[in-house]
Amino acid sequence: MSSSRDAILAKIHRNRPGGPALPDIHSVPFVTFDDKFAAFAGLIRNLGGEAIWLADGQSVADVVAQRWPKTGRTVDLTTMPHEEAFTPHDWHDVDVAIVPGELAVAENAAVWISHPDNIFRSLYFLTEKLVMVVPKDKLVDTMRDAYGQIAIREHGFGAFISGSSRTADIEQSLVMGAHGAMAALVIFC
Amino acid sequence: MKADNIHHPDAAREFLADRARASWHDQAIWFVRQKRDVQAKQLPEWEELRKLAEQIKAHTLSKLDDYLVQFEENARRNGVTVHFAADAAEHNRIVHQLLDARQVKKLVKSKSMLTEECGLNPYLEERGIEVIDTDLGERIVQLRHEPPSHIVMPAIHLKKEQISELFHEELGTEAGNNDPTYLTHAARANLRQHFLTADAGLTGVNFAVAETGGVVVCTNEGNADLGTALPPLHIASMGIEKIIPKLEHLGVFTRLLARSAIGSPVTTYTSHFHRARPGGEMHIVIVDNGRSDILGNPDFYASLRCIRCGACMNTCPVYRRSSGHSYSYVIPGPIGSTLGPSRDIKKHGSMAFACTTCGSCSNVCPVKINLHEQLILQRKRAFDAGTLKPAKKMGLLAMRFLTQHPALMDAGGKAMRKVVPILPAFIKDGTAWSRPGRELPEMPEHSFKELYRRRQEDKQ
Repeated sequence: MSSSRDAILAKIHRNRPGGPALPDIHSVPFVTFDDKFAAFAGLIRNLGGEAIWLADGQSVADVVAQRWPKTGRTVDLTTMPHEEAFTPHDWHDVDVAIVPGELAVAENAAVWISHPDNIFRSLYFLTEKLVMVVPKDKLVDTMRDAYGQIAIREHGFGAFISGSSRTADIEQSLVMGAHGAMAALVIFC
Repeated sequence: MKADNIHHPDAAREFLADRARASWHDQAIWFVRQKRDVQAKQLPEWEELRKLAEQIKAHTLSKLDDYLVQFEENARRNGVTVHFAADAAEHNRIVHQLLDARQVKKLVKSKSMLTEECGLNPYLEERGIEVIDTDLGERIVQLRHEPPSHIVMPAIHLKKEQISELFHEELGTEAGNNDPTYLTHAARANLRQHFLTADAGLTGVNFAVAETGGVVVCTNEGNADLGTALPPLHIASMGIEKIIPKLEHLGVFTRLLARSAIGSPVTTYTSHFHRARPGGEMHIVIVDNGRSDILGNPDFYASLRCIRCGACMNTCPVYRRSSGHSYSYVIPGPIGSTLGPSRDIKKHGSMAFACTTCGSCSNVCPVKINLHEQLILQRKRAFDAGTLKPAKKMGLLAMRFLTQHPALMDAGGKAMRKVVPILPAFIKDGTAWSRPGRELPEMPEHSFKELYRRRQEDKQ
């Protein structure tokens, strides 16, 4: 095994071509948005999701109850302490998962999820409905800004999630709910 | 796996026999190209982004061994086991040993063109392991026992009626129900059970970050996430060229990938894997399988910048009208037509000619690979390797002779301009000019050379 490694690396070293210096990705101006929330909310509507700017006096629970009056098993990771699973499979029957999002990206309606106090990430993908709660001041323009701020906090895992799980593999018809969440709700509070 | 003897023009002729179907295929894929254009035009910095991506990749290839070592060290520090495989056989052996040692019965896979290239599925199935492809399109072609026809949309060659029939037989869906939502949700329910009962998950890799030792996998369906969040073993297979130096570089590549691939601003899930889920283990298999040879070839090494978005196939007039199954290599379209011949010119020589040299592929490529120029160079190799059929070879040799003898070329042109207009129709029968949609151009009275000379004279 290690002999393959050394042989491969030696051959790459022998064969590698010349190349330019690493460019400075911050030297180019990227697109900015006057109203980041409007951009985010407009995009996510076409991606199987919805975005809400929480009004004064309104709570996350209010919004969720309004959106889905009848729900099954609900797991809320935005409060401490929260429910824990013993195996990743324990989340298989979750209907609504409410999880903290660290930041949101205006250009593509993605939310960064990497929760230091969650054990099994399977929750984000097994749940039928995914609610991501993001602080109002954590909305950035582009992925470049996002990568400047995020950290991998959850057992080496983190994901940008944009809307709900989807596929267009049958005749290019867009269908929501391929394997992951069938619906996504992003609440800015 | 693809058949061993695919010859592009013959396979394309077969595909084109059903004109309505071929036209549907062309339009369905062109629609994706148009969606890509809409996304690209929304970013004023689009061309700058492509330039940055090209430079980052070109830089990385120039120090690839250094970045691989850095990646390996950081991945090990994270607790991930890193393996190196010189070729497909070693890759398959490593994966099988990992599965076998843990008594894995069922493996769920997300999309990976590398494992397609290595023939991993049949290798594991022969050894008694159940392999479930979980991307919907890949699952469809797996159940049909055929290779994917596109690297991003594996089942784009199929109509929903065919998928409905397949699901009726394989998953017990209602006969004649062709509704894509119904069919997708039936597959969801079926695959959910496979996710929950799998013993291991295997993913491809979109980007491997040297700085952090993590790999990034992009899907719309969430299948890579379910396949790695549930079972205790995660294997990620990657080619040596997937490396990027820093995490911040994802701020360039994630902006280009989905926009180029499917005309979406981003994939639903852009997942960063640096460790296994608690209680599990993670392995990364880094595969060469001919890539280091391409790296050493000044004409073709730029093809290793590829991020597998598929934009080149969506724009290609030949791909859209011939479908992925007409190409002998596992990756079709312009990028496959340089990678395949680089790997085996005798087997994939015909792919180099599946090109009009229009250059559209090079114009949409997010990492600015000079695809159409590479295909011209691959044609030369195909000719030198003796892969051309006799008629094509004779034609090329005759053309070469003519272009090297201008007087003969002039005389030939003159004769053609006089003779072609008075040819009886039956002489064209059976030639390329008798096929539907084609017409011999009207012969001009004078050649370009004559016109040019007269123009110069008039000026004086």
